[in-house]
Amino acid sequence: MSEEIGRTLFDHLVELAAFELGGDEAEYLRRELNKQLDAIHELEAVPLDADTPITSHGVPYTQEISAPPREDRWQPFPDTEKLMGQAPETEDGYIVVPDIPHEEL
Amino acid sequence: MEYEAIIGLETHIQLNTETKIFCNCKADSWGEPPNTNICPVCTGQPGVLPVLNKAVAEKAVLLATAMHAEVRRVSYFDRKNYFYPDLPKGYQITQFDRPIAIGGYLDLPMPEGYTRRVYIIKLHIEEDAGKTKHANGYRLIDFNRCGVPLIEMVTGPDLRSADEAAQYLIRLRQLVRWLGISEGNMEKAHIRCDANVSIRPKGADYLNPKTEIKNVNSIDAVREAIATEIQRQIREVEAGREIHAWTLEWDEDAGVLRKMRSKETEADYRYFREPDLLPLVIDDEWKSQILADFPELPLERRARFMAQYGLPEYDADILTTERALSDYYEAALQAYNGDPKRVSNWVINEVLRLLNERGLSADQLKVTPQYLAMIIRLVDKGTVNTSTGKALVVKVEDTGKPPKQIVEEEGLAQVSDTGALRAICEKIVAANPDEVEKYRGGKTSLIGWFVGQVMRETRGKANPKEVQKILRELLG
Amino acid sequence: MMELLRMEAHEIAAAVRAGKLSAREVLEATLEHIASVDGIPGSIGDDPEAEPDKIHAFITLTAERARAQADAVDAKIVAGEDPGPLAGVPFTVKDIFVVEGTPSTAGSRILANYIGPYTATPVERMEAAGGVMLGKVNLDEFTFGSSSESSAFKPTPRNPWDTSRVPGGSSGGSAAAVAAGEGWLSLGTDTAGSIRQPAAFCGVVGLKPTYGRVSRYGLIAFGSSLDTPGPIARSVRDAALMLHVIAGRDPHDATSAAAPVPEYLAALEKDVRGLRVGLSPDYFRIVRAEGGELVEEPLPAEIKQAVLDTAERLANMGVEIVEDVPMPHNRYGIPAYFVIARVEAASNLHRYDGVKYGYRTPDRVADMREMYRKSRGQGFGLQPKLRILMGMYVSAAQYSERYYQRALQVRTLIRRDFEAVFDPEGKYRLDALLTPTTPTAAFPMGAVYGDSVLMQYADQLTVAANHAGVPGISVPVTTDADGLPLGVQLLGRDFDEATLLRLARAVEEGAAFTAKV
Ligand SMILES: [Mg+2]
Ligand SMILES: [Zn+2]
Repeated sequence: MSEEIGRTLFDHLVELAAFELGGDEAEYLRRELNKQLDAIHELEAVPLDADTPITSHGVPYTQEISAPPREDRWQPFPDTEKLMGQAPETEDGYIVVPDIPHEEL
Repeated sequence: MEYEAIIGLETHIQLNTETKIFCNCKADSWGEPPNTNICPVCTGQPGVLPVLNKAVAEKAVLLATAMHAEVRRVSYFDRKNYFYPDLPKGYQITQFDRPIAIGGYLDLPMPEGYTRRVYIIKLHIEEDAGKTKHANGYRLIDFNRCGVPLIEMVTGPDLRSADEAAQYLIRLRQLVRWLGISEGNMEKAHIRCDANVSIRPKGADYLNPKTEIKNVNSIDAVREAIATEIQRQIREVEAGREIHAWTLEWDEDAGVLRKMRSKETEADYRYFREPDLLPLVIDDEWKSQILADFPELPLERRARFMAQYGLPEYDADILTTERALSDYYEAALQAYNGDPKRVSNWVINEVLRLLNERGLSADQLKVTPQYLAMIIRLVDKGTVNTSTGKALVVKVEDTGKPPKQIVEEEGLAQVSDTGALRAICEKIVAANPDEVEKYRGGKTSLIGWFVGQVMRETRGKANPKEVQKILRELLG
Repeated sequence: MMELLRMEAHEIAAAVRAGKLSAREVLEATLEHIASVDGIPGSIGDDPEAEPDKIHAFITLTAERARAQADAVDAKIVAGEDPGPLAGVPFTVKDIFVVEGTPSTAGSRILANYIGPYTATPVERMEAAGGVMLGKVNLDEFTFGSSSESSAFKPTPRNPWDTSRVPGGSSGGSAAAVAAGEGWLSLGTDTAGSIRQPAAFCGVVGLKPTYGRVSRYGLIAFGSSLDTPGPIARSVRDAALMLHVIAGRDPHDATSAAAPVPEYLAALEKDVRGLRVGLSPDYFRIVRAEGGELVEEPLPAEIKQAVLDTAERLANMGVEIVEDVPMPHNRYGIPAYFVIARVEAASNLHRYDGVKYGYRTPDRVADMREMYRKSRGQGFGLQPKLRILMGMYVSAAQYSERYYQRALQVRTLIRRDFEAVFDPEGKYRLDALLTPTTPTAAFPMGAVYGDSVLMQYADQLTVAANHAGVPGISVPVTTDADGLPLGVQLLGRDFDEATLLRLARAVEEGAAFTAKV
């Protein structure tokens, strides 16, 4: 197994992903990532033309089956309480979150 | 040493669609309580999907065409991934490497007489985020603005002064209102602006590190913030210090710039194609539908007013600030069928004053262009005098009645009957011996005072030229 | 009661519509059966080993809601109205779909307290057709797995054929429920094989429709370009019945196709004579991940035999079997999937941040960033974390070209394999490919879980259809030496589920397979 994702890179990814990890969690995750990368490197054996297009959806969306864009008509959602009622903390209709510190000159 | 500034602007224009870009909520939440104009889609509930609003694509095509940009037949949506509490999905749906339009430019005629051409690097569609509000030690989040449709437009580093930057915003605001794609109200943040600023010795051809000023959201703020930053960079360079690629925030109240965060730590947004949306295909048929009623643009119309009607640049500029006003002018001119400058004077002085006082746009006036033309004709023919004509503009607006009807009903027709006028003039002369004395003693400027007395006596209806003639005779 | 439970869904609906059975009666019999076989529902932090002989398909049983729906169906019958093609048919929903007023958990702690504020389109359509929703069934956390063991809700589902074995995944609760007679139909999702693999493991029929055929609105997203909702049922006819209800354009899903939806049930009546079905050597070789090494080896003999027997029976019915059909890029399905699905998953899981719904850490935090880290760290299990981290890595600007762009190009080649063999002008002109569904039968609980590469390779015979978008169906055909079901897979042309179902019906008819219930 390769060590393509070393500890420093791993920590960077964890930061990007916004995770606080337990000790064994980190070890497990980093090992599995590197194992998966070994499988992923199989892709390098595939001969590709430089101009091979990418496929975003398997099925080609021809004009016939593609839906037209939505008409610009207002339809309010009837029960916004169902949405706001799930917020962990609210105040005067706002959702409350911790502070975002920022640096000033 | 002499320096020049290199400025590029990134503007976000809020479109005036009825609904948001990807859901059926209202686009405009101005004045609404927080978190009331929301739905599962724009709050990023699990399982929801975006569906593009047709009107957003259409308005983008209008702006792109007005900017002389190339509209792509096929463009794509992408996800820009980052964490922020006002971004409910954790990514913004935007356009990255294949935006709806590329290229284009906007010409800025400067008051000094030269024209600055600003190139557009990129024009794309995206969704707005919500709003965060500071509270004491925490933040408050409002999702009403999530999903409001925006066009982001990025200029090249083509602007050379704070005034040019301000002019760009003035012209952009004029254009989006002209096209009817945005209210363009900067107080309501319908146009938001970030400015990239650097300096270099005048005539140099390289670029120095730039700073980015975030959220300069009024034309004055753009002018002041950029001017302040240019001065700061010159001071730094003169003192032998380096310019760092900082992100700055303009504090409008204090008139100072504050550093936000270091540019080096800029997030990796991991852009990739939005799999929930199909490519946006604008085929020739749709495009020609969108552009079927494409208007003459403000700068073109301004030039035409000068060439076709012989208007001075000042008049042409004012008449083309708003599309409705320029349409009004042309309609009035057509109805009047006479001297274009004379109509321009009436529109610029009387109509514009009325619009400003009442907060109306020209297409909302009860004094239609046809009525204005009639009023000017009444003055020309001497049926009413000029000041009655001006008063008529207001009276027609107040009542909606045709000018002639008001003249008849209120007996406003000018008194040109020499006999009647002579009697009034004699009365005035007789009643004011002191003034007559002074006049005859050489203070001939008093003629105006005598005319005024006669006008008062006739409640403004007297033909002032005739009055003056009679008075001179009596006093002479 | 068992007699009622052994009826097919279309028979139940017909009896209810004819007034011979009441929806309430069907429902009560089903609820009674669930009470006897299912055991405790999955819950956060419960004992994974509890009641090892029960099925544990459910996370949330919504009996009262179901009773109200059944009564509404019966009221329509009384009023002389037609309740619809699923009249009175009890069904379950994989808990990856949002259903208004029900916990919609994705099998994750991070959504354990989330109550659906709207209803997913396929569920809405099933309910509108007279179907009676029994509740939400367990799955791998956010569908990330092939055994259902990664759910945060314990105990996780067990295989009704042998409760020491997994039901497969991620639609494990769906397949287990249908196999055990806990409802006739289940709405599952398939991103790499998550309908077909558990269907094969549990001896039921699982259909992954063409991408775009069924709306994804309300499906909590994993890999948005691959996710496909579809039916799990005990018979091909029932799968066809359900597909007809859920298929078709949805204005809430811009990727739902505006292709016409044919009468699938009528299609089943057509003869299969003259249809061309291919066998590919590339589906008789499998890759096994062992200790970090990927070893290529032949398909287990029993499974290969099941496919060949099926081909022979089809040939006897007049189907033309075409051998040696090349599908050379099939083997890159999993590596490409490791990249594409992770990039999409990492982005799709960004929204679980503790801000507006779901789990927020109860710990004191200094700032926003810490709130994110703790909420996501505590709310997500290992499998979502693993997928997010891989997605972050392979889509980071500096690696994207090497991994993500390349994987999308390989996806093109996988798609071209299918286009070539289905091309009506081409060399093979196939109506379908016949392949095994899985490289093994159901494996024991705990045998694979934790080895993320080995687990992923459970989907190696199904994932190509997701890359290509084409439809696929798994039909149970026999049992192996351990008495575990084996399934075969048919893969077909874009939006041609009708032909696939017609062939699947023939496969089912000829197979010597008896359902568990
Ligand atoms: Mg932007
Ligand atoms: Zn909305």
